[in-house]
Amino acid sequence: MALAEYKYKDILHRCFRCGYCKFPTNWIDVNNCPAYARFRMESYSCGGRLWLTRAWLNGEIDWTDHLAQIMYSCTACKNCEEKCPLRFNVDIVDMIRATKSEMVERGLIPSVVKEFLENIQRQGNPYGKARAKRGEWIGGTGIPQYEGQEFLYYVGCVGSYDTRAQETARTLGKVLIKAGLPFGVLGSEENCDGNEVNTLGEETLFEMLAEENIQKFRDLGVTKIVTLSPHSYNTMKNDYPRFDGSFEVRHYTQLLRDLITQGKLNFSGGLNARVTYHDPCFLGRWNGEYDTPRQILNSIPGIELIEMEKNKTGALCCGGGGGNFYTDFLAGSESSPARIRAREAYATGASILAVACPNCMTMLEDAVKAEGLEGELAVKDISEIVAEVCGLA
Amino acid sequence: MDIVVCIKRIPDTADVVGIDASKKDIEKDSLAFKINDWDDYALEAAVQLKEKQGGSITAVTVGPKEWDDILRRALAMGADKAIRVDQDMVTADCYAVAKVLDALIRDLSYNLVLFGAQSEDFGCSQLGVMVAEMLGIPHAALAVSLQVADGRIHVSRELEAGMLESYTIELPALLTIQTGINRPRYISLGGIKRAMSKELQVMSLSDLGLSLDTLAPMVRLEKLELPPRGKEAELISGSPEETADQLARILQNSGIF
Repeated sequence: MALAEYKYKDILHRCFRCGYCKFPTNWIDVNNCPAYARFRMESYSCGGRLWLTRAWLNGEIDWTDHLAQIMYSCTACKNCEEKCPLRFNVDIVDMIRATKSEMVERGLIPSVVKEFLENIQRQGNPYGKARAKRGEWIGGTGIPQYEGQEFLYYVGCVGSYDTRAQETARTLGKVLIKAGLPFGVLGSEENCDGNEVNTLGEETLFEMLAEENIQKFRDLGVTKIVTLSPHSYNTMKNDYPRFDGSFEVRHYTQLLRDLITQGKLNFSGGLNARVTYHDPCFLGRWNGEYDTPRQILNSIPGIELIEMEKNKTGALCCGGGGGNFYTDFLAGSESSPARIRAREAYATGASILAVACPNCMTMLEDAVKAEGLEGELAVKDISEIVAEVCGLA
Repeated sequence: MDIVVCIKRIPDTADVVGIDASKKDIEKDSLAFKINDWDDYALEAAVQLKEKQGGSITAVTVGPKEWDDILRRALAMGADKAIRVDQDMVTADCYAVAKVLDALIRDLSYNLVLFGAQSEDFGCSQLGVMVAEMLGIPHAALAVSLQVADGRIHVSRELEAGMLESYTIELPALLTIQTGINRPRYISLGGIKRAMSKELQVMSLSDLGLSLDTLAPMVRLEKLELPPRGKEAELISGSPEETADQLARILQNSGIF
């Protein structure tokens, strides 16, 4: 029991299950832990998981498939960390990761998580699609290969392979070209960033991915990285420095905001629409970036930005983090977090649900369809909204 | 219980398959490789038996140096020792490979030999049963459950239409393992690194008293080809209601319902 045993065993019991980990910041309900919202069982909340971990470490319960599913239904959204009143709250998401890590080392993980990790080991993406096809999303867009330009545009697995997210990846590329930004992509040379591998507890695989990526970036002379996904942004900004990989990493919204401010992206029109914005966990709670995406939306003439009741630190996760966009432990119910979030967005009266993450995009677009809201609520990435008002769409 | 598990390394084609210039192999330059799926289940079955009964597991393969990776994985999974016969026999027939494995296994100490029921690449399903015949030991193919008791092994094997056939077999014996018999555990990268200190022995054909001349194949591969394209698929477009109507009409007209 490496991490769980030596680092956390003595503090796990300090969780006395107050249950705050399930609340949003404004206390309006008890459903802000996505797994708890889906299953409504205490064991699926962070506190429940900590107690189960403690019982497992102490030999009071055996490992079961169900125990593993409870751990892996954690999306690492950090709502619990936001709300936990105890001093060790900064570690509670890492405690769950430590439990997953122990399960990985013992080979005791759900089949779909095994598939996810083995696909990344072999093909560098969770879908198990061919490594050689990673650059096919580029199509005929003219998005250039990285050859020492100022910025590396890192797309990530979801943007590279998911059909819907590929559209977003292309659109952002076109916006960056329009802004005259010197940038390039790695195409089929790109590899998984490892953020999800890390949250799933496969530490050695994560280290290998981080080290290989850092080496590749260095060999190519990369100094500045702009990412499509907040997940890539998070790990490259916060984890890669541990492996001596220090790059200037920005999420694309941060770059777009500057390009707009500098007058490099001129809006040819406006967009008369009521828009609500869903905070991606790896941009918001993980990195404290709440304002920039909103500044972009507010800078577009005609857009009326309306907040959902649960927003910023209290936003409900789409349910796609911690590999759940693929492993899907939270699917199949009206209480799936993505469907709850789609209803919350619809309740604002907005016609557009703006996102800034390819995982959120795929999760929420599916949820809007499942809710029968297609045609009433459009899920659009902020880059797609910007492209539209720049006359690119 | 000493168990020998025979494993194979196969390409993970991930929907990209091309035939190379020789027309006898697929293009492998950009492919990733992995352990044959059926062999993963055979290894897991061996590890579970060892966990219950004690004993040892020896993982063996016939292939070039790159194949060490599947043996390292087997060692991480719970094998005690691995042996690779250093000979590329990917395009050889099963008979030739069986002769190599026969020569190797007959000098090992074993009670049970496990194979995957077939390989994902050529899918012949012959190797295990050929080796059993050469070793002169009883076998059962397509095992879907196994239990060891009183020096015998109780095996269920899969027949058509969900029928099962049960046997009690005296040891030593050989089984070919069907997928689904267990759930192979995940092998972490850390586990593979930690298993690097375990013994991996490399042998040559001459160590086994064999040479390529003595392994003349009985079947020769003439050429590989991709299946011809079928008739163009009909793509239905429109709203969900319209496409459902069209699809229902097509199914009705074709007499399906």
